[in-house]
Amino acid sequence: MICKRALLAMLASAALAHAASAQQKPDKVTIGYLNLVNAQLVTKALGLHEKEMGVPIEWVKFGSGGDVNRAVAANQLSFGGVGNPPATIGIGRGLAYRGIFVLNMLGPVESLVVRTSKQIEKPQDLAGKSAAAPFGSTTHYLIIAYLRGAGVDPTSVKLLDLAPSDAVAAWLRGDIDAAYVWEPSLNKMVANGGMILMDSGTMATRGYPTWDIAVVMDDFAAKYPDYVTKFVKSECAAVDFWLKKPEDTAAIISKELSLPLDDARRMMQGTGVVPCDKQLTDAYLGTSKAKGKFVDTLIATATFLTEQKRLPKVESRQSYENFITPKYLEAALGK
Amino acid sequence: MTAIEQAPSELAETKSRLVLRPRVEHLLTAGTVVGLLGLWTLLSHYGLVNPLFLPSPEAVWTSFLEVVTEGYQGQRLHQHMAASLERILAGYFMACAIGIPLGLLMGLSTRVKAVFDPIVEFYRPLPPLALYTLLVMWLGIGDTSKITLLFLAALPPLSISAMQAARSIDLRHVRAAQMLGATRAQLFRHVFLPSCLPGICTGMRISLGFTYTVLVASEIVAATAGMGWMIWDASKFLLSDVVIMGLFVLGLTGVALDWAIRQFERLIAPWRFA
Repeated sequence: MICKRALLAMLASAALAHAASAQQKPDKVTIGYLNLVNAQLVTKALGLHEKEMGVPIEWVKFGSGGDVNRAVAANQLSFGGVGNPPATIGIGRGLAYRGIFVLNMLGPVESLVVRTSKQIEKPQDLAGKSAAAPFGSTTHYLIIAYLRGAGVDPTSVKLLDLAPSDAVAAWLRGDIDAAYVWEPSLNKMVANGGMILMDSGTMATRGYPTWDIAVVMDDFAAKYPDYVTKFVKSECAAVDFWLKKPEDTAAIISKELSLPLDDARRMMQGTGVVPCDKQLTDAYLGTSKAKGKFVDTLIATATFLTEQKRLPKVESRQSYENFITPKYLEAALGK
Repeated sequence: MTAIEQAPSELAETKSRLVLRPRVEHLLTAGTVVGLLGLWTLLSHYGLVNPLFLPSPEAVWTSFLEVVTEGYQGQRLHQHMAASLERILAGYFMACAIGIPLGLLMGLSTRVKAVFDPIVEFYRPLPPLALYTLLVMWLGIGDTSKITLLFLAALPPLSISAMQAARSIDLRHVRAAQMLGATRAQLFRHVFLPSCLPGICTGMRISLGFTYTVLVASEIVAATAGMGWMIWDASKFLLSDVVIMGLFVLGLTGVALDWAIRQFERLIAPWRFA
């Protein structure tokens, strides 16, 4: 006969074990996503995270990486997405997150649009004009790099901090002459008396690559590492879908962003989505043993921002290497 | 509302300052300030709070010195302060010029009140940032929309307090003056206005405080200088020492402006402090 005490002990340990394994599941996952054209729109539309993780997902939209950083500092997110400039700011300020997945390599989907009537044909023409860019984002970084590369003093341009949707309103009112923003806001300006002067694809070839990376909070990753792998797995599936079924993807994008199908198709062309096995190569994240070129881009971006007095200093190479975390991608691909 | 109903605590304060203990209140105030500063220093020195959320007092002081001497994003503290003050004072004085007479009229005439009350009472509780998005669409991203937002924020406390002051005039004063043969103009100048002044001044102080809180909202969209802009921009780059420093500067200048209004009140309505 089992004595009462032993039975109680067994029940208690069973309960504890159950509770412990129950704690492996988060109550809710909050995903901060950028208002952009990339494969996350597919993930969202097809409910891939909901299916793979099996927990309630809250999707929170952000205007730019700077806003995502603020939400990360306030502990509001499990996952997020940031461009390389906000990522270097986050690393420099000690935000406890790491990059796990390449969302997209930015190309013409981000461009500098100028008002046709102002006859701005080269960077020098921008001096004395007003231009908008969301401060702390990829395009803010690029517009300053563009001006400095052409020998134009960035302070000679009236640079205004506007989120892309606010920039559209300002453009339509005639308040600004130029804006460096991304789709879907870019479209509305070009359609209303604008022409493209420069784009992120060209800036990348000139030595200023920009990309968006998905991030996970260190806290969340420590508690629920399996769920981070699940996140990456679903995002990889979305990237595959984008690459293999472009027409269906265009339909999804046009629905999510309320755009005509042609615009959706064109915007898809302007951004580079990277298949998951390629992300582990040296050109991108690299492997856990040998991190890739993304680390170098982070260092170059940090150096630039430090010169602009947006960052106090460039961190050690190790900090940037620690940020780039391919291990969840490796786990998702079974490597 | 007579002077006695209006500020019982202030009168009591004056009395106690003269009759009872003159220094205790000062000691308590000083003690609170020192205590809070001490707590802050302890928390940051012993690493109890993430420096990203609560930078140390030294970090805040350093950023203050930096912004005063080298500037923040190309402009020094006094320039940011000037840009913000320009906007606040422009909106605030316009609100005084329009709101106070409007409030007095609303207090005197139920018909005027019936016309303007729905407008003021409706937009008053609306969040400033929501109003601001509309203003930016209509008036653009320049200073016009910012000053208009500050004007709209400053107006309701002024008109409401003026209206209440007008409606609370002690009729005995009016009757007494009439008995002495006062004309309507004399009634207005010697009875009506002085009775309303204390209420109006209280409204002015409340209004200024409220306008201040709207300043950051007004400088979020497309400003290039200003205290609110500096705080907002610094927060995007996670520079919490600049944010806290900016808040302190705003707070202290707010206290200074409030003090200025109280001195003005002493000047024009000295009987309240007798």
